[in-house]
Amino acid sequence: MYNAVVNEGLDRMSEMARGNFDLDWMDSNPAGWGHEVKPGKTGLTLCDVETGHYDQVPEHGSSHGSLAPRGCMVPDDTPSLDMYTLNEMSEVWSDNARHLYDEACNRQWNSTTDVPWHKLEKLPDDIEKSVCQMCTGFVEVEFVAGDMPAKWMCHINHDFHEVKLFLATQIMDEARHMDVFRKRALANGGGLLMASPASEELLAAILQANDYTTASSLMHIFGEGFILTLFRTGEFLAPTEVEKTIFRLCMQDEARHVAYGVKHLKYFLERHPEREGEIHSILDAGEQAIFRLTLEPQTIEPRAILAGGGIENIELGMARIGFLYSKQIREYLHRLKVAGLERESRMVIPAELSVETLLERAGVA
Amino acid sequence: MGKNKAILFPSEDWFRGLVSLMGEQEATYRELGATDCTMVVKVTGGASQGTGEDEGEKFFEVVFEDYGADKVRELASIEEASASHFVLEASLETWREMIDNIRDNGSPDLEHTLNYLTFPDDPMLVTGPDQLEVDTFYRYNESLQRFFNAAAEFPTSYA
Ligand SMILES: [Fe+2]
Ligand SMILES: [Fe+2]
Repeated sequence: MYNAVVNEGLDRMSEMARGNFDLDWMDSNPAGWGHEVKPGKTGLTLCDVETGHYDQVPEHGSSHGSLAPRGCMVPDDTPSLDMYTLNEMSEVWSDNARHLYDEACNRQWNSTTDVPWHKLEKLPDDIEKSVCQMCTGFVEVEFVAGDMPAKWMCHINHDFHEVKLFLATQIMDEARHMDVFRKRALANGGGLLMASPASEELLAAILQANDYTTASSLMHIFGEGFILTLFRTGEFLAPTEVEKTIFRLCMQDEARHVAYGVKHLKYFLERHPEREGEIHSILDAGEQAIFRLTLEPQTIEPRAILAGGGIENIELGMARIGFLYSKQIREYLHRLKVAGLERESRMVIPAELSVETLLERAGVA
Repeated sequence: MGKNKAILFPSEDWFRGLVSLMGEQEATYRELGATDCTMVVKVTGGASQGTGEDEGEKFFEVVFEDYGADKVRELASIEEASASHFVLEASLETWREMIDNIRDNGSPDLEHTLNYLTFPDDPMLVTGPDQLEVDTFYRYNESLQRFFNAAAEFPTSYA
């Protein structure tokens, strides 16, 4: 009355009940047996255990296409998941992925208890509105960096598990970023303000990119590099210790995401210099999108109000953070240089954006 | 370390003072997580007994690893720094203002955090051999801030 699978299981259990065990698994992987590890000062990290036999990352990921762990013995009849499309190491790898995973695990924080919320204080209306608008913008963009890795993870060959594990930490980091900015917007008598249509253009480009590496270049290096500078701006402009702490903690996470992206692009371009043009093309699109985003009133004006110390000094504030855009561009170009991409001569947006130039363009100066 | 005896800034002893407090407060640093970076502090415009390449310039290297920092040394020039590092550069006057602010308040006020001082590249500048090295300053920022915050715990004198 049972089907074939259940009957086979029952037969096997009957054999075991009679004392007939297989035990083949015990000697299945002699090359991987007897592995020795030495925990470091911070405990037992992934870097500590992935040595010798287990450090052999194949250039072409396993052809069995299953979730079988790298370094084990994989039986011939292991079925494939038929999910993996990213089977080349160069498509996802980064030499720092393992280390960044360890670091991310070690440097987690949480928005419930690690932010001194008790230090929130009533702020003038224009300042509270500016903080809340800045937070609204971050709540909108943060989780694209969770959605993007989530979209690709199940397509990454399981032999590159370090990359998957790192991306999993990034998803958690972004969840925390989205949640901490939402909390700040809602925590001090204000609330969320206006969404940003211009951000959606960039977010869509990240999520719709044709392949993982172009998506990663656009997000990890370009988008998150810009956000990293905006987190530094947030700390600089913060009206209380609460926002200062939030931005410093987020900044740390963001720098890890950028570090993965830079090293991944470097690894990829060293092996596929012929793909440079595709990376440039997606950056063309990204630069134009971020340019529109940077100049959107809901992006720039709250920062100018905070920099000026109030709405009455918004122009002074604009001048005070005039260096922000060129700083973002400079760091972006320098990161691409580390990855082996010369971008300066290919940029489709200006490298500088001073108030003087803008006034000159408007015929005011 | 006698907590009432002023320690001269900049000096190896001053940084060792912070390093030893880091050891005493390891639990705090464990909470923030492990660090892995090398910081070079460059002090310009001090009294002209500096060993640096320009008169009055001084360089100190602190290597952060895991939950502490066990290597502190004065460098004769930036060329002596480890290959991987970032540089925090400011005038003695700026360093003094930051340290005194930390000492007076127990921690920096809103306008004396490392990020606040470095963000506009003035009065403090962060540089490095490449952008990823500079990025380590952002990646461990809260731990580095905590490191300097310990300057509240002993008096500092200046050259
Ligand atoms: Fe983020
Ligand atoms: Fe991120």
